[in-house]
Amino acid sequence: MIPSLTREDLKIIGYNLRNAFYITGVFLLVPIVVAAVYREFNTVPYFLIGSALAFIIGNLLSFFLRTEKEMEVKHAIVMVALAWLIAPLLASIPIWLANATASYLDAGFEAISGFTGTGLTVATGIDYMSHSINFLRHFLQFVGDGVGILVISLSILGRTEMSSVLAFKGESKDVGIRPSVVRTSRIIIGIAVTFLIIGTVLFTIAGIREGLDPGTAVFDGLNHSMTGYATGGFSTHSQNLLYYHSILFEVVAVILMIIGALNFNLHYAVLGGKRKEILKNIEVKVLLFWLLATGLIVSANLLNTNVYSSVEALFRKGVFHAISAQTTTGFQTVYPSHFALVWPALSIFVLSIAMIVGGSANSTSGGIKMLRVGVLFKSFKREVKRLLLPRSAVVTGSFHHIEDTPLTDKVVAGAALVAISYIVFFSIGTMITAAHGYSLEDSMFETSSALGNVGLSCGITSPAMPATLKVTYMFLMWAGRLEIIAVLVLMGFVILGLRRGIKK
Amino acid sequence: MGLRKFSLRAFLKKNFDFITGILSEVGLTAAIMVVAFAICVLLVFIMR
Repeated sequence: MIPSLTREDLKIIGYNLRNAFYITGVFLLVPIVVAAVYREFNTVPYFLIGSALAFIIGNLLSFFLRTEKEMEVKHAIVMVALAWLIAPLLASIPIWLANATASYLDAGFEAISGFTGTGLTVATGIDYMSHSINFLRHFLQFVGDGVGILVISLSILGRTEMSSVLAFKGESKDVGIRPSVVRTSRIIIGIAVTFLIIGTVLFTIAGIREGLDPGTAVFDGLNHSMTGYATGGFSTHSQNLLYYHSILFEVVAVILMIIGALNFNLHYAVLGGKRKEILKNIEVKVLLFWLLATGLIVSANLLNTNVYSSVEALFRKGVFHAISAQTTTGFQTVYPSHFALVWPALSIFVLSIAMIVGGSANSTSGGIKMLRVGVLFKSFKREVKRLLLPRSAVVTGSFHHIEDTPLTDKVVAGAALVAISYIVFFSIGTMITAAHGYSLEDSMFETSSALGNVGLSCGITSPAMPATLKVTYMFLMWAGRLEIIAVLVLMGFVILGLRRGIKK
Repeated sequence: MGLRKFSLRAFLKKNFDFITGILSEVGLTAAIMVVAFAICVLLVFIMR
Protein backbone atom coordinates (compact mmCIF):
# COMPACT_ATOMS: atom_id res chain seq x y z
CA MET A 1 0.00 0.00 0.00
CA ILE A 2 1.22 3.49 -0.85
CA PRO A 3 2.05 5.39 2.37
CA SER A 4 0.03 8.55 3.10
CA LEU A 5 1.55 11.97 2.59
CA THR A 6 3.19 13.57 5.59
CA ARG A 7 4.15 17.15 6.38
CA GLU A 8 7.77 16.00 6.17
CA ASP A 9 7.20 14.97 2.52
CA LEU A 10 5.99 18.49 1.70
CA LYS A 11 8.90 20.03 3.62
CA ILE A 12 11.45 17.96 1.71
CA ILE A 13 9.90 18.92 -1.64
CA GLY A 14 9.52 22.61 -0.73
CA TYR A 15 13.02 22.91 0.73
CA ASN A 16 14.66 21.31 -2.32
CA LEU A 17 12.49 23.41 -4.62
CA ARG A 18 14.22 26.58 -3.39
CA ASN A 19 17.12 25.97 -5.79
CA ALA A 20 14.77 26.27 -8.77
CA PHE A 21 13.69 29.70 -7.45
CA TYR A 22 17.28 30.83 -6.91
CA ILE A 23 18.47 29.71 -10.31
CA THR A 24 15.47 31.30 -12.06
CA GLY A 25 16.26 34.50 -10.14
CA VAL A 26 19.80 34.40 -11.57
CA PHE A 27 18.52 33.66 -15.10
CA LEU A 28 16.28 36.73 -15.00
CA LEU A 29 19.27 38.97 -14.26
CA VAL A 30 21.19 37.92 -17.40
CA PRO A 31 19.05 39.88 -19.94
CA ILE A 32 19.96 43.07 -18.02
CA VAL A 33 23.37 42.85 -19.74
CA VAL A 34 21.60 42.92 -23.13
CA ALA A 35 19.40 45.79 -21.91
CA ALA A 36 22.54 47.73 -20.95
CA VAL A 37 24.21 47.06 -24.33
CA TYR A 38 21.15 48.27 -26.27
CA ARG A 39 20.37 51.05 -23.74
CA GLU A 40 16.90 49.62 -23.02
CA PHE A 41 16.88 50.77 -19.41
CA ASN A 42 13.07 50.78 -19.27
CA THR A 43 13.05 46.96 -19.26
CA VAL A 44 15.56 46.60 -16.39
CA PRO A 45 12.94 46.96 -13.59
CA TYR A 46 10.90 44.12 -15.15
CA PHE A 47 13.81 41.69 -14.81
CA LEU A 48 14.63 42.95 -11.33
CA ILE A 49 11.03 42.45 -10.15
CA GLY A 50 10.93 38.88 -11.49
CA SER A 51 14.34 38.06 -10.04
CA ALA A 52 13.58 39.62 -6.64
CA LEU A 53 10.35 37.67 -6.38
CA ALA A 54 12.20 34.44 -7.14
CA PHE A 55 14.84 35.10 -4.46
CA ILE A 56 12.23 36.14 -1.86
CA ILE A 57 10.15 32.96 -2.37
CA GLY A 58 13.32 30.83 -2.42
CA ASN A 59 14.45 32.35 0.87
CA LEU A 60 11.01 31.86 2.44
CA LEU A 61 11.08 28.16 1.45
CA SER A 62 14.60 27.86 2.79
CA PHE A 63 13.68 29.53 6.11
CA PHE A 64 10.33 27.86 6.85
CA LEU A 65 10.86 24.40 5.36
CA ARG A 66 14.47 23.71 6.33
CA THR A 67 15.08 19.98 6.67
CA GLU A 68 18.13 17.76 6.66
CA LYS A 69 16.25 14.71 5.35
CA GLU A 70 17.33 13.30 1.98
CA MET A 71 14.95 13.18 -0.96
CA GLU A 72 13.42 9.90 -2.07
CA VAL A 73 12.46 9.16 -5.69
CA LYS A 74 8.86 10.38 -5.21
CA HIS A 75 10.06 13.69 -3.70
CA ALA A 76 12.57 14.27 -6.50
CA ILE A 77 10.05 13.60 -9.26
CA VAL A 78 7.39 15.86 -7.72
CA MET A 79 10.03 18.54 -7.04
CA VAL A 80 11.21 18.48 -10.68
CA ALA A 81 7.64 18.60 -12.02
CA LEU A 82 6.90 21.63 -9.83
CA ALA A 83 10.21 23.31 -10.72
CA TRP A 84 9.29 23.14 -14.39
CA LEU A 85 6.02 24.96 -13.58
CA ILE A 86 7.42 27.54 -11.20
CA ALA A 87 10.39 28.63 -13.31
CA PRO A 88 8.21 29.57 -16.33
CA LEU A 89 5.69 31.32 -14.07
CA LEU A 90 8.47 33.56 -12.73
CA ALA A 91 10.06 34.06 -16.16
CA SER A 92 6.72 35.16 -17.55
CA ILE A 93 6.71 38.23 -15.26
CA PRO A 94 9.16 40.38 -17.32
CA ILE A 95 7.51 39.23 -20.57
CA TRP A 96 4.11 40.31 -19.24
CA LEU A 97 5.32 43.61 -17.72
CA ALA A 98 7.02 44.52 -21.03
CA ASN A 99 3.70 44.02 -22.86
CA ALA A 100 5.32 41.50 -25.17
CA THR A 101 2.13 39.45 -25.02
CA ALA A 102 -1.55 40.35 -24.94
CA SER A 103 -2.21 38.89 -21.47
CA TYR A 104 -0.55 37.19 -18.50
CA LEU A 105 -1.82 33.84 -19.77
CA ASP A 106 0.00 34.47 -23.05
CA ALA A 107 3.16 35.45 -21.13
CA GLY A 108 2.90 32.16 -19.23
CA PHE A 109 2.40 30.30 -22.51
CA GLU A 110 5.50 32.00 -23.98
CA ALA A 111 7.61 31.21 -20.91
CA ILE A 112 6.54 27.54 -20.78
CA SER A 113 7.13 27.27 -24.52
CA GLY A 114 10.57 28.76 -23.89
CA PHE A 115 11.64 26.70 -20.90
CA THR A 116 10.41 23.43 -22.40
CA GLY A 117 12.16 24.18 -25.69
CA THR A 118 8.94 24.03 -27.66
CA GLY A 119 8.96 27.25 -29.65
CA LEU A 120 5.24 27.78 -30.22
CA THR A 121 4.73 31.50 -29.77
CA VAL A 122 1.85 33.85 -28.91
CA ALA A 123 4.07 36.93 -28.53
CA THR A 124 2.96 40.02 -30.37
CA GLY A 125 5.29 42.17 -32.48
CA ILE A 126 8.38 39.94 -32.22
CA ASP A 127 10.07 41.98 -34.97
CA TYR A 128 9.76 45.16 -32.90
CA MET A 129 10.28 43.60 -29.47
CA SER A 130 12.99 45.05 -27.23
CA HIS A 131 16.30 43.19 -27.58
CA SER A 132 16.44 42.27 -23.90
CA ILE A 133 12.96 40.66 -23.83
CA ASN A 134 13.64 38.91 -27.13
CA PHE A 135 16.94 37.67 -25.73
CA LEU A 136 15.11 36.38 -22.63
CA ARG A 137 12.83 34.22 -24.81
CA HIS A 138 15.83 32.59 -26.48
CA PHE A 139 17.87 32.38 -23.29
CA LEU A 140 15.02 30.51 -21.58
CA GLN A 141 15.19 27.86 -24.28
CA PHE A 142 18.94 27.49 -23.91
CA VAL A 143 18.97 27.22 -20.12
CA GLY A 144 15.69 25.34 -19.84
CA ASP A 145 15.80 22.81 -22.62
CA GLY A 146 19.40 23.14 -23.80
CA VAL A 147 20.96 22.45 -20.43
CA GLY A 148 18.21 21.93 -17.84
CA ILE A 149 17.27 24.11 -14.88
CA LEU A 150 18.29 21.55 -12.30
CA VAL A 151 21.48 20.59 -14.11
CA ILE A 152 22.56 24.22 -13.79
CA SER A 153 21.46 24.49 -10.18
CA LEU A 154 23.37 21.28 -9.36
CA SER A 155 26.52 22.51 -11.04
CA ILE A 156 26.42 25.86 -9.26
CA LEU A 157 24.88 25.07 -5.91
CA GLY A 158 25.89 21.43 -5.62
CA ARG A 159 23.89 18.87 -3.67
CA THR A 160 24.39 15.54 -2.04
CA GLU A 161 24.90 12.80 -4.58
CA MET A 162 21.63 10.95 -3.90
CA SER A 163 19.42 14.02 -4.29
CA SER A 164 21.24 15.04 -7.44
CA VAL A 165 20.92 11.66 -9.12
CA LEU A 166 17.21 11.65 -8.36
CA ALA A 167 16.76 15.19 -9.70
CA PHE A 168 18.59 14.18 -12.89
CA LYS A 169 16.22 11.28 -13.41
CA GLY A 170 13.21 13.52 -12.93
CA GLU A 171 14.50 16.04 -15.48
CA SER A 172 14.89 13.31 -18.15
CA LYS A 173 18.66 13.76 -18.12
CA ASP A 174 19.56 10.41 -16.63
CA VAL A 175 23.13 10.65 -17.83
CA GLY A 176 25.68 8.40 -16.24
CA ILE A 177 28.71 10.14 -17.74
CA ARG A 178 30.69 10.45 -14.52
CA PRO A 179 30.30 9.15 -11.00
CA SER A 180 30.08 12.72 -9.67
CA VAL A 181 26.79 14.34 -10.65
CA VAL A 182 28.13 17.85 -10.15
CA ARG A 183 30.95 17.06 -12.57
CA THR A 184 28.46 15.50 -15.01
CA SER A 185 26.31 18.63 -14.95
CA ARG A 186 29.39 20.77 -15.61
CA ILE A 187 30.26 18.55 -18.59
CA ILE A 188 26.72 18.99 -19.96
CA ILE A 189 27.08 22.78 -19.64
CA GLY A 190 30.54 22.63 -21.25
CA ILE A 191 29.21 20.71 -24.27
CA ALA A 192 26.28 23.14 -24.62
CA VAL A 193 28.53 26.23 -24.43
CA THR A 194 30.96 24.74 -26.99
CA PHE A 195 28.22 24.25 -29.55
CA LEU A 196 26.69 27.61 -28.63
CA ILE A 197 29.95 29.35 -29.56
CA ILE A 198 30.36 27.34 -32.78
CA GLY A 199 26.74 28.03 -33.76
CA THR A 200 26.98 31.74 -33.00
CA VAL A 201 30.11 32.10 -35.15
CA LEU A 202 28.53 30.19 -38.06
CA PHE A 203 25.20 32.06 -37.88
CA THR A 204 27.04 35.40 -37.62
CA ILE A 205 29.13 34.62 -40.71
CA ALA A 206 25.94 33.56 -42.54
CA GLY A 207 24.18 36.75 -41.42
CA ILE A 208 27.00 39.05 -42.56
CA ARG A 209 27.22 37.13 -45.84
CA GLU A 210 23.47 37.76 -46.34
CA GLY A 211 23.88 41.50 -45.77
CA LEU A 212 23.00 41.95 -42.09
CA ASP A 213 25.00 44.57 -40.21
CA PRO A 214 27.55 42.97 -37.84
CA GLY A 215 25.64 43.95 -34.68
CA THR A 216 22.38 42.40 -35.89
CA ALA A 217 24.25 39.38 -37.27
CA VAL A 218 25.82 38.68 -33.85
CA PHE A 219 22.53 39.23 -31.97
CA ASP A 220 20.53 37.04 -34.35
CA GLY A 221 23.37 34.52 -34.49
CA LEU A 222 23.60 34.17 -30.72
CA ASN A 223 19.84 33.84 -30.30
CA HIS A 224 19.38 31.30 -33.11
CA SER A 225 22.38 29.36 -31.89
CA MET A 226 20.82 29.12 -28.42
CA THR A 227 17.49 27.95 -29.77
CA GLY A 228 19.05 25.74 -32.48
CA TYR A 229 21.23 23.76 -30.09
CA ALA A 230 18.39 23.62 -27.55
CA THR A 231 16.15 22.31 -30.35
CA GLY A 232 13.82 25.09 -29.23
CA GLY A 233 12.88 26.93 -32.39
CA PHE A 234 12.21 30.48 -31.19
CA SER A 235 13.41 33.15 -33.61
CA THR A 236 14.09 36.86 -33.40
CA HIS A 237 11.58 37.33 -36.23
CA SER A 238 7.90 36.54 -36.45
CA GLN A 239 8.49 34.72 -39.75
CA ASN A 240 11.08 32.52 -38.07
CA LEU A 241 13.94 31.49 -40.43
CA LEU A 242 11.79 32.29 -43.47
CA TYR A 243 12.67 35.94 -42.74
CA TYR A 244 16.24 35.43 -44.02
CA HIS A 245 15.44 33.48 -47.23
CA SER A 246 18.98 32.17 -46.84
CA ILE A 247 20.25 28.68 -47.59
CA LEU A 248 23.34 29.45 -45.49
CA PHE A 249 21.19 30.15 -42.44
CA GLU A 250 19.24 26.96 -43.09
CA VAL A 251 22.39 24.82 -43.41
CA VAL A 252 23.79 26.18 -40.12
CA ALA A 253 20.39 25.57 -38.51
CA VAL A 254 20.39 21.94 -39.75
CA ILE A 255 23.87 21.35 -38.28
CA LEU A 256 22.82 22.69 -34.88
CA MET A 257 19.43 20.93 -34.91
CA ILE A 258 20.99 17.50 -35.54
CA ILE A 259 23.81 18.04 -33.04
CA GLY A 260 21.26 19.19 -30.45
CA ALA A 261 19.26 16.02 -31.03
CA LEU A 262 22.23 13.77 -30.17
CA ASN A 263 22.61 12.12 -26.77
CA PHE A 264 24.87 13.85 -24.17
CA ASN A 265 26.53 10.49 -23.53
CA LEU A 266 27.33 10.25 -27.23
CA HIS A 267 28.74 13.80 -27.25
CA TYR A 268 30.89 12.93 -24.26
CA ALA A 269 32.15 9.69 -25.83
CA VAL A 270 32.86 11.25 -29.24
CA LEU A 271 34.48 14.42 -27.87
CA GLY A 272 36.51 12.21 -25.55
CA GLY A 273 38.06 10.29 -28.46
CA LYS A 274 35.59 7.44 -29.06
CA ARG A 275 34.74 8.63 -32.57
CA LYS A 276 33.60 5.22 -33.84
CA GLU A 277 30.73 5.36 -31.33
CA ILE A 278 28.94 7.69 -33.74
CA LEU A 279 28.61 4.82 -36.26
CA LYS A 280 27.81 2.05 -33.76
CA ASN A 281 25.27 3.78 -31.51
CA ILE A 282 21.70 2.46 -31.80
CA GLU A 283 20.23 5.96 -31.39
CA VAL A 284 22.30 7.44 -34.23
CA LYS A 285 21.26 4.57 -36.51
CA VAL A 286 17.55 4.95 -35.67
CA LEU A 287 17.78 8.77 -35.95
CA LEU A 288 19.41 8.49 -39.38
CA PHE A 289 16.75 6.04 -40.55
CA TRP A 290 13.84 8.20 -39.32
CA LEU A 291 15.35 11.44 -40.65
CA LEU A 292 15.93 10.05 -44.12
CA ALA A 293 12.63 8.15 -44.22
CA THR A 294 10.67 11.24 -43.12
CA GLY A 295 12.59 13.44 -45.57
CA LEU A 296 12.00 10.97 -48.41
CA ILE A 297 8.25 10.55 -47.82
CA VAL A 298 7.60 14.27 -47.31
CA SER A 299 9.70 15.30 -50.34
CA ALA A 300 8.13 12.64 -52.59
CA ASN A 301 4.65 13.67 -51.47
CA LEU A 302 5.36 17.39 -52.02
CA LEU A 303 6.76 16.64 -55.47
CA ASN A 304 3.90 14.32 -56.38
CA THR A 305 1.27 16.90 -55.42
CA ASN A 306 3.11 19.69 -57.28
CA VAL A 307 3.63 21.80 -54.16
CA TYR A 308 7.34 22.06 -54.99
CA SER A 309 9.01 20.87 -58.16
CA SER A 310 12.69 21.82 -57.94
CA VAL A 311 15.47 19.97 -56.09
CA GLU A 312 16.33 23.13 -54.14
CA ALA A 313 12.74 23.70 -53.00
CA LEU A 314 12.35 20.05 -51.95
CA PHE A 315 15.55 20.24 -49.92
CA ARG A 316 14.89 23.65 -48.34
CA LYS A 317 11.23 22.99 -47.56
CA GLY A 318 10.62 19.22 -47.45
CA VAL A 319 13.91 17.95 -45.98
CA PHE A 320 14.40 21.02 -43.78
CA HIS A 321 11.01 20.59 -42.09
CA ALA A 322 11.54 16.83 -41.78
CA ILE A 323 14.77 17.55 -39.85
CA SER A 324 13.14 20.38 -37.88
CA ALA A 325 10.25 18.07 -36.86
CA GLN A 326 12.37 14.99 -36.14
CA THR A 327 14.88 16.87 -34.00
CA THR A 328 11.90 18.64 -32.33
CA THR A 329 13.37 22.07 -33.06
CA GLY A 330 10.58 23.88 -34.85
CA PHE A 331 12.59 26.23 -37.09
CA GLN A 332 10.23 27.05 -39.94
CA THR A 333 10.84 28.27 -43.50
CA VAL A 334 7.22 28.37 -44.68
CA TYR A 335 4.28 30.41 -43.40
CA PRO A 336 2.13 28.49 -40.88
CA SER A 337 -0.86 28.80 -43.22
CA HIS A 338 1.17 26.93 -45.84
CA PHE A 339 1.10 23.80 -43.70
CA ALA A 340 -2.66 24.11 -43.22
CA LEU A 341 -3.70 25.11 -46.72
CA VAL A 342 -1.01 24.02 -49.20
CA TRP A 343 0.85 20.99 -47.81
CA PRO A 344 -0.82 17.62 -48.51
CA ALA A 345 -2.30 15.55 -45.67
CA LEU A 346 0.31 12.78 -45.95
CA SER A 347 3.19 15.21 -45.33
CA ILE A 348 1.37 16.72 -42.35
CA PHE A 349 0.72 13.22 -40.97
CA VAL A 350 4.35 12.08 -41.41
CA LEU A 351 5.67 15.28 -39.80
CA SER A 352 3.26 14.74 -36.89
CA ILE A 353 4.65 11.23 -36.32
CA ALA A 354 8.21 12.56 -36.55
CA MET A 355 7.40 15.21 -33.92
CA ILE A 356 6.00 12.61 -31.52
CA VAL A 357 8.90 10.21 -32.05
CA GLY A 358 11.49 12.96 -31.52
CA GLY A 359 15.29 12.89 -31.15
CA SER A 360 17.72 11.14 -28.83
CA ALA A 361 17.25 10.38 -25.14
CA ASN A 362 19.29 12.60 -22.78
CA SER A 363 19.49 15.24 -25.48
CA THR A 364 17.81 18.60 -25.86
CA SER A 365 15.04 17.17 -28.02
CA GLY A 366 11.60 16.00 -26.97
CA GLY A 367 9.24 13.20 -27.99
CA ILE A 368 9.31 9.47 -27.25
CA LYS A 369 13.05 9.38 -28.13
CA MET A 370 15.10 7.29 -30.52
CA LEU A 371 16.59 5.01 -27.87
CA ARG A 372 13.11 3.85 -26.86
CA VAL A 373 12.05 3.44 -30.49
CA GLY A 374 15.20 1.40 -31.14
CA VAL A 375 14.59 -0.75 -28.06
CA LEU A 376 10.96 -1.37 -29.07
CA PHE A 377 12.01 -2.27 -32.61
CA LYS A 378 14.62 -4.70 -31.27
CA SER A 379 12.06 -6.26 -28.94
CA PHE A 380 9.61 -6.76 -31.84
CA LYS A 381 12.40 -8.47 -33.75
CA ARG A 382 13.18 -10.64 -30.72
CA GLU A 383 9.53 -11.66 -30.32
CA VAL A 384 9.19 -12.61 -34.00
CA LYS A 385 12.39 -14.66 -33.69
CA ARG A 386 11.06 -16.33 -30.54
CA LEU A 387 7.85 -17.35 -32.36
CA LEU A 388 9.74 -18.77 -35.33
CA LEU A 389 12.23 -20.81 -33.30
CA PRO A 390 11.45 -24.04 -31.39
CA ARG A 391 10.05 -23.60 -27.87
CA SER A 392 13.25 -24.80 -26.24
CA ALA A 393 15.37 -22.13 -27.94
CA VAL A 394 16.60 -19.25 -25.76
CA VAL A 395 16.30 -15.94 -27.58
CA THR A 396 18.29 -13.04 -26.20
CA GLY A 397 18.88 -9.56 -27.53
CA SER A 398 21.12 -6.59 -26.95
CA PHE A 399 21.74 -3.10 -28.27
CA HIS A 400 24.76 -0.84 -28.41
CA HIS A 401 24.46 2.51 -26.67
CA ILE A 402 27.93 3.60 -25.51
CA GLU A 403 28.29 0.00 -24.30
CA ASP A 404 26.56 -3.26 -25.17
CA THR A 405 23.38 -3.50 -23.12
CA PRO A 406 21.17 -6.59 -22.78
CA LEU A 407 17.60 -6.20 -23.96
CA THR A 408 15.78 -7.07 -20.75
CA ASP A 409 12.02 -7.12 -20.26
CA LYS A 410 12.39 -4.23 -17.78
CA VAL A 411 14.06 -2.04 -20.43
CA VAL A 412 11.38 -2.90 -23.00
CA ALA A 413 8.54 -2.29 -20.52
CA GLY A 414 9.97 1.13 -19.59
CA ALA A 415 10.22 2.14 -23.25
CA ALA A 416 6.70 0.86 -23.98
CA LEU A 417 5.24 2.72 -20.99
CA VAL A 418 6.59 6.09 -22.13
CA ALA A 419 5.55 5.43 -25.76
CA ILE A 420 2.00 4.49 -24.71
CA SER A 421 1.77 7.56 -22.43
CA TYR A 422 2.72 9.81 -25.36
CA ILE A 423 0.13 8.17 -27.63
CA VAL A 424 -2.60 8.61 -24.98
CA PHE A 425 -1.73 12.30 -24.36
CA PHE A 426 -1.45 12.89 -28.11
CA SER A 427 -4.91 11.41 -28.69
CA ILE A 428 -6.48 13.48 -25.89
CA GLY A 429 -4.76 16.68 -27.10
CA THR A 430 -5.88 16.06 -30.69
CA MET A 431 -9.47 15.51 -29.56
CA ILE A 432 -9.49 18.73 -27.48
CA THR A 433 -8.04 20.74 -30.41
CA ALA A 434 -10.50 19.22 -32.89
CA ALA A 435 -13.33 20.01 -30.47
CA HIS A 436 -12.43 23.69 -30.89
CA GLY A 437 -13.37 23.42 -34.57
CA TYR A 438 -10.02 22.71 -36.22
CA SER A 439 -9.56 19.96 -38.82
CA LEU A 440 -8.25 16.59 -37.63
CA GLU A 441 -4.92 16.84 -39.49
CA ASP A 442 -4.27 20.38 -38.22
CA SER A 443 -5.21 19.24 -34.70
CA MET A 444 -2.80 16.31 -34.91
CA PHE A 445 -0.03 18.53 -36.22
CA GLU A 446 -0.34 21.25 -33.57
CA THR A 447 -0.85 18.75 -30.72
CA SER A 448 2.20 16.71 -31.66
CA SER A 449 4.16 19.95 -31.94
CA ALA A 450 3.19 20.96 -28.38
CA LEU A 451 3.57 17.49 -26.83
CA GLY A 452 6.85 16.75 -28.64
CA ASN A 453 8.22 20.20 -27.64
CA VAL A 454 8.72 21.07 -31.31
CA GLY A 455 7.21 24.44 -32.22
CA LEU A 456 6.21 23.95 -35.86
CA SER A 457 2.80 25.54 -36.30
CA CYS A 458 0.07 25.30 -38.90
CA GLY A 459 -1.42 28.52 -37.57
CA ILE A 460 -3.57 27.29 -34.69
CA THR A 461 -1.22 28.76 -32.09
CA SER A 462 -1.74 32.52 -32.05
CA PRO A 463 -2.73 35.21 -29.55
CA ALA A 464 -6.32 34.77 -30.77
CA MET A 465 -6.38 31.06 -29.88
CA PRO A 466 -9.08 30.13 -27.29
CA ALA A 467 -7.82 30.28 -23.68
CA THR A 468 -8.81 26.64 -23.08
CA LEU A 469 -6.57 25.57 -25.95
CA LYS A 470 -3.72 27.73 -24.64
CA VAL A 471 -3.99 26.00 -21.25
CA THR A 472 -4.18 22.58 -22.96
CA TYR A 473 -1.01 23.24 -24.94
CA MET A 474 0.76 24.64 -21.86
CA PHE A 475 -0.04 21.38 -20.09
CA LEU A 476 1.10 19.28 -23.07
CA MET A 477 4.39 21.20 -23.39
CA TRP A 478 5.06 20.76 -19.66
CA ALA A 479 4.09 17.07 -19.68
CA GLY A 480 6.12 16.41 -22.84
CA ARG A 481 9.24 17.99 -21.37
CA LEU A 482 8.98 15.78 -18.29
CA GLU A 483 8.31 12.70 -20.43
CA ILE A 484 4.82 12.44 -18.89
CA ILE A 485 5.70 10.02 -16.07
CA ALA A 486 6.75 12.84 -13.68
CA VAL A 487 3.41 14.56 -14.32
CA LEU A 488 1.52 11.36 -13.53
CA VAL A 489 3.50 10.98 -10.29
CA LEU A 490 2.66 14.59 -9.33
CA MET A 491 -1.02 13.90 -10.06
CA GLY A 492 -0.84 10.77 -7.93
CA PHE A 493 0.74 12.81 -5.14
CA VAL A 494 -2.06 15.40 -5.27
CA ILE A 495 -4.81 12.76 -5.41
CA LEU A 496 -3.23 10.92 -2.47
CA GLY A 497 -3.17 14.15 -0.44
CA LEU A 498 -6.80 14.96 -1.29
CA ARG A 499 -8.11 11.46 -0.50
CA ARG A 500 -6.21 10.67 2.65
CA GLY A 501 -5.19 14.11 3.87
CA ILE A 502 -1.71 15.07 5.04
CA LYS A 503 -0.50 13.26 8.17
CA LYS A 504 1.84 14.82 10.73
CA MET B 1 52.65 37.52 -22.05
CA GLY B 2 50.46 34.43 -22.25
CA LEU B 3 50.09 34.73 -26.02
CA ARG B 4 53.86 34.60 -26.54
CA LYS B 5 53.91 31.13 -25.03
CA PHE B 6 50.94 29.96 -27.11
CA SER B 7 51.79 27.17 -29.50
CA LEU B 8 49.19 26.11 -32.06
CA ARG B 9 50.82 22.69 -32.41
CA ALA B 10 50.67 22.08 -28.65
CA PHE B 11 47.06 23.32 -28.51
CA LEU B 12 45.99 21.00 -31.35
CA LYS B 13 47.86 18.08 -29.82
CA LYS B 14 46.30 18.64 -26.41
CA ASN B 15 42.76 19.01 -27.80
CA PHE B 16 43.05 16.52 -30.66
CA ASP B 17 40.22 14.26 -29.47
CA PHE B 18 37.93 17.19 -28.77
CA ILE B 19 38.51 18.87 -32.13
CA THR B 20 38.20 15.66 -34.15
CA GLY B 21 35.11 14.80 -32.11
CA ILE B 22 33.43 18.06 -33.10
CA LEU B 23 34.50 17.51 -36.73
CA SER B 24 32.99 13.98 -36.58
CA GLU B 25 29.65 15.34 -35.40
CA VAL B 26 29.63 18.14 -37.98
CA GLY B 27 30.67 15.50 -40.54
CA LEU B 28 27.65 13.40 -39.57
CA THR B 29 25.31 16.34 -40.17
CA ALA B 30 27.04 17.07 -43.50
CA ALA B 31 26.64 13.42 -44.54
CA ILE B 32 22.92 13.54 -43.66
CA MET B 33 22.49 16.69 -45.75
CA VAL B 34 24.36 15.19 -48.72
CA VAL B 35 22.28 11.98 -48.62
CA ALA B 36 19.06 14.01 -48.26
CA PHE B 37 20.04 16.23 -51.19
CA ALA B 38 20.84 13.13 -53.28
CA ILE B 39 17.39 11.76 -52.42
CA CYS B 40 15.80 15.01 -53.65
CA VAL B 41 17.81 14.85 -56.91
CA LEU B 42 16.77 11.22 -57.44
CA LEU B 43 13.12 12.00 -56.70
CA VAL B 44 13.01 14.84 -59.22
CA PHE B 45 14.86 12.68 -61.76
CA ILE B 46 12.51 9.70 -61.31
CA MET B 47 9.16 11.45 -60.83
CA ARG B 48 9.54 14.25 -63.40
